[in-house]
Amino acid sequence: MTTPEPRAALYLQALGGASNIEEIEPCTTRLRSLVHDPAQVDSAALRKLGAFGVMINGRVVQVVVGPEVDVVASEIDDLL
Amino acid sequence: MPTETGSQPTSHKYLKVRDYLVALAAEELAVGDPVPSERALTQRFGVSRMTVRHAIDALVSEGVLEKVQGRGTFVSAPRMDFEVRLSTFGEQMQRLGLSASTTVLDSGAVAAPAEVAAVLGVSPGAQVHHLRRQRRADGKPMAIEEAWIPVALAPRLFDDGPPPSLYDALRTHGQDPQWGEETLAADIATREECELLDMSENSAVLRATRRTHGDDGAVMFSRSCFRGDRYQVWVPLAPPHVPEKPSRPSPAPTTSKEDS
Repeated sequence: MTTPEPRAALYLQALGGASNIEEIEPCTTRLRSLVHDPAQVDSAALRKLGAFGVMINGRVVQVVVGPEVDVVASEIDDLL
Repeated sequence: MPTETGSQPTSHKYLKVRDYLVALAAEELAVGDPVPSERALTQRFGVSRMTVRHAIDALVSEGVLEKVQGRGTFVSAPRMDFEVRLSTFGEQMQRLGLSASTTVLDSGAVAAPAEVAAVLGVSPGAQVHHLRRQRRADGKPMAIEEAWIPVALAPRLFDDGPPPSLYDALRTHGQDPQWGEETLAADIATREECELLDMSENSAVLRATRRTHGDDGAVMFSRSCFRGDRYQVWVPLAPPHVPEKPSRPSPAPTTSKEDS
């Protein structure tokens, strides 16, 4: 079990940091975010953190996290 | 009672026949009842046989009516709601009170094709259990399912032959399905699929691609194709909740977050 605090910070970092996030929300199994610059998203880093997939479509970034996405998202919210 | 004026464009005539048959199927006839013959409809609406056929064919492809070779055209059973949840064909049929039956088309351990390996997170060529089945509801073909499961996760999964329920078998082997993701897409069935699903050539299907996860990652990848005329996808809609936005530049966020 990883401790919650670093996990959220690392996800946020891999998404390009708080300054890159316009919106972020959990959606059942995915972390869905609207980012300012998709080029700052590090898919490989997200996969290393345990994500099962990363879909980038325009400025919409979806990270397949699984059911624990609600926890991850609320931890990220605390950092925003 | 609709009357034909004789001066309407063909599309209107066709719609009249169509609407009449839809109302008939919904209100007066029961599932399995025959609809009036082409000849009767031709006379009733004063339209050509071609117009009547056009209306019937449209309703057949919409799944409202069903043509049985050499016997006629009948009212179809209502479409099934495609279940958007982590359940299996057998479980769905049981809930609907239909008897599920299966023909195994292919079964055994194979080297994982590249796409399957990537989705399951195993190395290309790793051994995977492979199962392809035709699934039927009350004897009628409804779907073709193909699934791949890493052999390393459950080496003895197929020891007693292909299991009737892959999810049950995974549970028995300690690889309980916990969550998944499914993608749905419309497509035209291949010739082989049309034969297996008892559909005329170039019929529509609903393709479902699913990755099932256990506690420790992906346990199964599956591709299914469902008869396009027998299913509808039902999805509940709720208003979107307001996504979180960074509350910069305030250092200590004092937002009124509502965690679900």
